[in-house]
Amino acid sequence: MKFSQSALALAALGVVVLSSPVPSATDAVAAESGAATAPADPAVLLRLSPSQYRHSIHDIFGASIKITGRFEPETRSEGMLSVGARLASITDSGLQRYDELARGIAAQVVDERHRDLLIPCKPQSATGADAACARQFFARVGRMLYRRPLAAHELDGIVAAAGDATSVLKNFYGGLQLALTEMLISPEFLFRRFQMEPDPERPGQERLNAYGKAAELSFFLWNTTPDEALLRAAESGEIHTRAGLEKQVDRLMSSPAMEDGLRGFFADMLEFADFETVSKDPAFFPSYTLSAKLDSQEQTLRTIVDHVMVREGDYRDLFTTRHTFLTRSLAALYGVPLVDKTENGQPQRWLPYTYPEGDPHAGILTHASFLALHSPSGRSSPTDRGKALRELLMCQRVPPPPSNVDFSVVQDVNSEVHRTARDRLTAHATEATCAGCHRITDPIGLALENFDAAGGYRTHENGAPINPAGEINRVKFDDPIGLGQAIRNVPAITNCVARKAFAFGSGRMPVAANPEWKQISQAFADSNYNVLALLREIALSDLFYAPPAATTVASTSAR
Amino acid sequence: MKNRCVINTRRGGTSALTIAARSMLLGAPLALFCTASVAETHGYVISWFATATYNQNWKEACPEDRNGGGLQLNIRNFMDIGFSREEATDMANNPALPNREELRERVINRAIVNGKHVNVYNYPDAVPDPNIETVTGPYAYGFDLGGDSAHKFIDPETKQKVDNQLWRAVGCTESYRAAPPQMPYPEELSWNTMTDSALAWAIQISGEDLGRDGKVTVTISRVLQHLERDASGGIVSGATYVLEPVTRSHNVLQGEIKDGVLTVTPADIYLEGEMPYFAEIAIKDAHMRFKRRDDGKLIAYWGGYIDWKRFAYMYTARPANGADTMGIYHAVKKMADADPDPATGQNRMISATYRMEAVPAYIAELNGNVVAVSSRGPAWGAQSARVAAADDRSPDAANP
Amino acid sequence: MKSSVAMLARRRVLRGIVAGAAVNVGLPLFDCLLNDNGTAFAATGAPIPTRFATWFWGLGLGEADWRPKVAGRGFELPVQLQALKPFQDKLNLFSGGEVFLDGQANQTHFSGVQGFWTGKVTGAGDFFSSVDSAISGVIGKTTRFRSLEVACDGDPKASWSARADGKQPAEVSPAALYRTIFGPEYRDPNAAEFVPDPTVIARRSVLSGVKDQRLALAKGLGAADRAKLDNYFTSLRALEQRLEIQLQKPEPLLACTRPDAPPEEQNQAVSLATDAMKRHDLLVELLTHAMACDQTRVVNLSITQGMSGLRKEGDPINHHTLTHEEPIDPVLGYQVKCAWFQDQYMQGLATFAGMLDKVKEGDKSLLDRMILFAYTDHGAPRLHSLRNYPFITIGSGDGRLKTGMHIPRPGDVATRVPLTMQQAMGVPVSEFGTESNRVTSPIEEVLA
Repeated sequence: MKFSQSALALAALGVVVLSSPVPSATDAVAAESGAATAPADPAVLLRLSPSQYRHSIHDIFGASIKITGRFEPETRSEGMLSVGARLASITDSGLQRYDELARGIAAQVVDERHRDLLIPCKPQSATGADAACARQFFARVGRMLYRRPLAAHELDGIVAAAGDATSVLKNFYGGLQLALTEMLISPEFLFRRFQMEPDPERPGQERLNAYGKAAELSFFLWNTTPDEALLRAAESGEIHTRAGLEKQVDRLMSSPAMEDGLRGFFADMLEFADFETVSKDPAFFPSYTLSAKLDSQEQTLRTIVDHVMVREGDYRDLFTTRHTFLTRSLAALYGVPLVDKTENGQPQRWLPYTYPEGDPHAGILTHASFLALHSPSGRSSPTDRGKALRELLMCQRVPPPPSNVDFSVVQDVNSEVHRTARDRLTAHATEATCAGCHRITDPIGLALENFDAAGGYRTHENGAPINPAGEINRVKFDDPIGLGQAIRNVPAITNCVARKAFAFGSGRMPVAANPEWKQISQAFADSNYNVLALLREIALSDLFYAPPAATTVASTSAR
Repeated sequence: MKNRCVINTRRGGTSALTIAARSMLLGAPLALFCTASVAETHGYVISWFATATYNQNWKEACPEDRNGGGLQLNIRNFMDIGFSREEATDMANNPALPNREELRERVINRAIVNGKHVNVYNYPDAVPDPNIETVTGPYAYGFDLGGDSAHKFIDPETKQKVDNQLWRAVGCTESYRAAPPQMPYPEELSWNTMTDSALAWAIQISGEDLGRDGKVTVTISRVLQHLERDASGGIVSGATYVLEPVTRSHNVLQGEIKDGVLTVTPADIYLEGEMPYFAEIAIKDAHMRFKRRDDGKLIAYWGGYIDWKRFAYMYTARPANGADTMGIYHAVKKMADADPDPATGQNRMISATYRMEAVPAYIAELNGNVVAVSSRGPAWGAQSARVAAADDRSPDAANP
Repeated sequence: MKSSVAMLARRRVLRGIVAGAAVNVGLPLFDCLLNDNGTAFAATGAPIPTRFATWFWGLGLGEADWRPKVAGRGFELPVQLQALKPFQDKLNLFSGGEVFLDGQANQTHFSGVQGFWTGKVTGAGDFFSSVDSAISGVIGKTTRFRSLEVACDGDPKASWSARADGKQPAEVSPAALYRTIFGPEYRDPNAAEFVPDPTVIARRSVLSGVKDQRLALAKGLGAADRAKLDNYFTSLRALEQRLEIQLQKPEPLLACTRPDAPPEEQNQAVSLATDAMKRHDLLVELLTHAMACDQTRVVNLSITQGMSGLRKEGDPINHHTLTHEEPIDPVLGYQVKCAWFQDQYMQGLATFAGMLDKVKEGDKSLLDRMILFAYTDHGAPRLHSLRNYPFITIGSGDGRLKTGMHIPRPGDVATRVPLTMQQAMGVPVSEFGTESNRVTSPIEEVLA
């Protein structure tokens, strides 16, 4: 039955039906090229990130669906996982994991607790097929999962598959569950598709199709699948109009769900995914408990959301702000008092906290999420921290170390002379072959040496006092506060966040010379570096929805 | 001397903490600027608390060595319900004993009151005194409480003559054959059960300049939170705890730091606890001595008179710890050395010593005021005798 | 693959089975499920399959010269490999092999492996089609898992196994690996009864529906994205095949026993070498059982990435940093702290070999019937050298390799060893590698 369905489908596409039921893709293209004009700009697939996957499932099926299982590791490209998503396919083990996730979700959707809520009809018999009810369910769910209405043949195919499964299992819901499982591992769900279509406004040119725009907007601002209103705006074509697009952008930006978009963006930019491999020696860093590790990420995201979304502050002030949020575990890690009146045994509360004037904790560079993430497990590394600042926050590439570096100049690590990191890295600063690169990383990291590898504060290392003086781009400073202030004034900081924000939504970096990009950058500056204003500018630009060929395609070398 | 210094940490914090923070960060002696006089207060929470043990030399302490362990206890118990020593020995050594449950019931209900068999844990006095071996060696931790000079021990650390009849009673039992960081086994079980939920005990030490010898005030109270664990299973330093606003656990003692040791003017103290651990710490005429390590941790001994029945209740109320509950009950009762009951003459209190450790912590009030800071600076008395961080046991800690 | 008509007939056969009845399904096998090696096992006396395991440790064997003086048999095992002494007769040690950069940058802890394991040194992070995947592409077609990848330090990216679509992520949790292999989908070869799971039957029929949408999905995509989709469908075929296998009654395997489930780990990431090796031991136990139960014939293990971040308890400095900073002891001639790590790793290799050797399959052990191939990122890591790579094989691959030898190949291209492995395992290749790393003949003296 499915074979005939697919034959029909192929016929509908105007393609010659070949003798084999499953022609290879190249065969099909060869056959197709005779029938229709090949698109000027090919469509692009972007794999959904784990958080996009989770948010989508929760938005479609409700927050009570437990998502248990792991995801395929993501690829980072040009510093962003969202750019790496362009390069990602789905490996064998990756599909195994998606399959496990899908089975778990589908089982819950049809279980007794959820079925009345999520399935809009009841079958005539619980043990037999009911195509009408299945059709109702899959039409609705399919549109949300695939982020577009299902084509007739798609819907027919899924309903038929559910029916087949039901007849084997003698269970309507069982059949529904298996068909839903297949949808959840389908590329139509797991990949976002940037599909081009001819632009009626500009003959001969192409534009991103309406559903593509809806999806791009939704994943950019809310980090989730398009909601009903967005899908309808796409269906009606309203999203192609300036007014229609503005209406959707404003609607999305005024919603509390913006927080999810901001969190998704900054978590990507700050490389929080790498926390999965962070572990600190408990003998050296007893305060770095599991809750401190998890809380530290939340601390930074909360601080950023508060600054950017609630206060609509200047982005640059994130490097100098003394405002943050702490839990008791974090307060113990940082060594500051935090009076939490939560009842004994209840989960720790998040409390706003302001470091006093003069306290060295100022800005997100002094958060444990930055300090601990970019340190090895046993001791801090100023080079790692300096490199992280350059690459993550300034979009600058630090060259890798030369392979033939000779470390015989470095003396015994336990010698009396090398007690602090500054001492140990003296060779980096004085050896000509080393200094070239290390002077762009080490002076930054050395300013943060009062913070150990877990983010705790210290004044001495191995009994010797720490000197936190440093330098960036020839601006000198004496302590972490000075570092934050110096960073604030570096233009690369704001350029970088703008570029990465664009990349977060579109999966590609903008070309600096592009005139529209220059306008967007200028608008960001004019708004006093208000991140919400930046996101709005991007979401309303033509550049954001431009065909991929119009912008820089990510390089093929992924990190 | 009881100036309570207040550091305001609400938003728009005052400059007090700035100076405190700065000087703390530079490791210099603190000088908090407060309402009236210049003083500082360091905060702690008690992170380890148990009966003080001394097990350096078992032969010397318990020359008869007849108490034995769980096996011998079972033999004695079977003998108590009528078996001969040979029979009892076979039974105790038989892992596949057929009527184990029934025997257990008989052992537990072997006491006889008014002609009826009753549970020994409810009626320990109805069980004949097992007469376990008690300590005859010379050493135990403690303080001179003015007790009977015939029963004194020598404190291995201070070399003073001290009263510690509790140690005499329990020091030859298997349960008390432990050395820090291990607690006596039944106490360790209870501690680990309670520590993640029971309200913690806090200590505040105030003085003009805690980096130097001088007079101090020691306040011991209870807080509203349980202890926070750290990544290695210990208790984290630097967490913040909020004092119980309405409490029975509030003790203020006068003390002095001299040559790196803090001692107090003896006083009665009371701390509310939680079963099955110490239901309360109630010490009459409590003597204390504290030392501080370079990482800020306190190690202390507290000694004084405690209600012996309260102590024994820890065992009779929760008997499953492999301890010789009846033996301990009767030994403690016998060794009780103070406060005779006018009617019976039985002493109601017993001299005892506890050992405790405390980690630095911030202590605050419910209104948000931080009244004591967590200080990880050097040990007391920079010029005086200091305890190195590695030495977290008393100088003669044993390895059993 | 088979024609559509036959596939339809198959589906009808599947639908005809009454749910839950114990049957011998007796399905005609797909063409692609049969291969030259045959499919019957020990119980029937037919050939037992040969397996291949790869085992990666980071940061080589240190700065001292570990090469034995003697070539061929009877060589003295270097001190760095003393843990492997019990297996000396079953192992081969290759030395001297080199990876050539042909002008590309030396990406430390990467270019060497990229060179000899994929055959191509590029200046970028490409890593496709590793040697183990060439082997699993031949011998892994009939098993439930084409191959299994694991890592011991909690990092899923510490994997050197790559198919056409890139690196396969490593499993880092022994508990999860157990569930994957021996969880609800496991079919015990030695179970008395076999009941095909009706859910799997039903699923099989549904899955084909997705495949039929393939053409529509590929429409309008550029070449790179069509390739992505092709990779997806390759993965989907593997999923399908697993379902197929679940519906077949497995042949009994005398050597197969189901292990106990390991406990859940507290932390995914570990930073102490001893913790990583504990996890290693749990993982190799599962892999041993997986191979004995023919759930897979190729397994790949990495202790860490090349740049091992592991530490010794009490020391804040990790192995990688030590290779650069620890001075070479003037008397001993090597870095003492680094040597401790190497010992930890090698003891793990000995543990794995020992477990494999204890599994009796007919007259030989599982170890004898396989090749366990151990390799590293730099022979001498301090200066990121690409010369003198050590390769170790343990096991003869059921007689395909001669063993007990030291094979010095000073200055020879390192890719010759992986080529030899591929040929030994039946991959029909006569050459491997590109440009200066290209080889067209194996190391004959080690091939039986």
